[in-house]
Amino acid sequence: MLIQCLNGLVYGALLFSLASGLALMFGLRRIVNFSHGALYMLGAYLGYSIATKLGFWPALVLSALALAGLGALLDAAVFRPLQDRDPLIILLVTFGLALIAEDVVQTIWGNDTHSLAMPALLAGIVELPGSSFPVYRIAIIAFGLLVAGGLSLWLKFSRVGLFVRAASFNPTLAAIQGVDTDRVSLMVVAVGAALAGASGVVAAPILSLAPSMAADILVDSFIVVVVGGLGSLTGAFITALILGQINVLGIVFAPEFTALLPFVIMVGVLIWKPTGLAGNRV
Amino acid sequence: MKNSLSWLGFAALGAVGPLAAHFIPAGMTLSLLAQATFAAIFALGIGFLIRQNGTISFGHAAFFGLPGYAVAALLPLKLMPLEVLFAAALVGTVALAFAIGLVVVRVHGIAFGMLTLAIGQGLYEAATRWRAVTGGHDGMTLRLPREVFGLPVKLLQQPHGMFVAAWIVMTLCLVAVWLFARSPWGRLTEAIRDNEERVRFLGYRTLLPRAAVFAASALLVAIAGMLSVLYNAFISPDAIHWTASGSGLIMAILGGSAVAWGPLLGGFVYFFLKHAAGAYTTHWLSIIGVALILVAVAFPNGLAGLMIRQRSRP
Repeated sequence: MLIQCLNGLVYGALLFSLASGLALMFGLRRIVNFSHGALYMLGAYLGYSIATKLGFWPALVLSALALAGLGALLDAAVFRPLQDRDPLIILLVTFGLALIAEDVVQTIWGNDTHSLAMPALLAGIVELPGSSFPVYRIAIIAFGLLVAGGLSLWLKFSRVGLFVRAASFNPTLAAIQGVDTDRVSLMVVAVGAALAGASGVVAAPILSLAPSMAADILVDSFIVVVVGGLGSLTGAFITALILGQINVLGIVFAPEFTALLPFVIMVGVLIWKPTGLAGNRV
Repeated sequence: MKNSLSWLGFAALGAVGPLAAHFIPAGMTLSLLAQATFAAIFALGIGFLIRQNGTISFGHAAFFGLPGYAVAALLPLKLMPLEVLFAAALVGTVALAFAIGLVVVRVHGIAFGMLTLAIGQGLYEAATRWRAVTGGHDGMTLRLPREVFGLPVKLLQQPHGMFVAAWIVMTLCLVAVWLFARSPWGRLTEAIRDNEERVRFLGYRTLLPRAAVFAASALLVAIAGMLSVLYNAFISPDAIHWTASGSGLIMAILGGSAVAWGPLLGGFVYFFLKHAAGAYTTHWLSIIGVALILVAVAFPNGLAGLMIRQRSRP
């Protein structure tokens, strides 16, 4: 039982580090990035290629950096020029980008599944009362907590964080007060993309790499963002943890219907609170 | 005057398909045309939702596959005649869509897209996991009786017969969409789309009409799915994957949803574009991605918008 809860935490931590980027982008620019799953996938595959040459740790750092660059490009080339248009256009454009990314991954790495070896440092096993648990999975939970802690400190104490909070609370008022969304957005989107890429590398040793991985995790992180309240980090954090538990406990108790459970819960929450658990707050 | 012109247009459109089928030699092209017609009806449903509700669905493929799955699963039980089963599957799909609609139309814009994507993927997951009923990833083959709706099934499984039947259904669907848009309900939903708050001030309730439009768009999509199942006698989870929803959406946007016939045009263009691209390269995903980006950024009103603008230019 304890093991199942821990596994739920592992998935929750991954979901949060992905969904946090989505939540930040929504908070700042009121956009949804349909290519976020593709960023995660690209991060994982890049990490896989780098890791076969240089090992796990350089792969994690380099892949996150590469994705940060890609995120900056995404902001400069897509989000900024289109910000005054209908937000649905960005939705469609990022959807198109996700299709292209899937093709790129299929072309370079093929349709076969790959897997990445976990770093030797974390390859051990922890003895718990009654059973044992891989150290690497505990490291993923730590990674998720680190992301959550780091982001909330950044939002609370930095100038960029202040701007992000202001813009997500009320974009118009923030603009009147002189918050230049464009200046912070490059950084925020880059950070979100880097987090997606890093999550991809971190997830690679326990999940296999396949071109369908983008869509699978994108859907779950959408649920996290919508149920948590669009743009809310706290809401996303709580929802990610709950969803992680549901996923694992469901597999134990009702394997056929696990896949449907998150959707049922999402629908329930939205009937109860259409803005999500923590709507309109960061 | 304009009214009777429109009816003349519909009659002409309805006649074009069967006539064309007469001159095209049976085989590959005709088979593709039949499948393109399913795609066009699918796109018509998605475009209808965009036009009347102003919302973009990323999960409509679920309603395309659902009636097919219902028929495939219930057919071997021999509970009722096939015709009744078809009708029941359609009614069931629409009822489910209405129930889902009551929830999802409360959210707007982007969140609606995310929600419909999530619901569609939820059904996809269910179809792949619930192996006992759905056959999992392998899908299911239908054993159809010899006759359906008084027509021999063989006729409907030949490209020629199915293309003519699907084309006529498509024309009827277009007429229905056109009539709906001109009805008081159509006007009401368009008003809600433009400003829901004001319509509420006028004393209308806005939830039910929006949910009804959602259900109606699901019905159109379900009809397309039904024709496809009749023709192929096969259903698999690929039909309800989110990329299928995405293709339908691309067709509707490519054609332009501002006029009723836009998505139909988009459906045919997309289908043949994809097929032509597929013959030359394996990179059709990229081609579609690039096409979607181009259309979304440069021609938000799609091909139909482009054609209308050309015509009205002095």
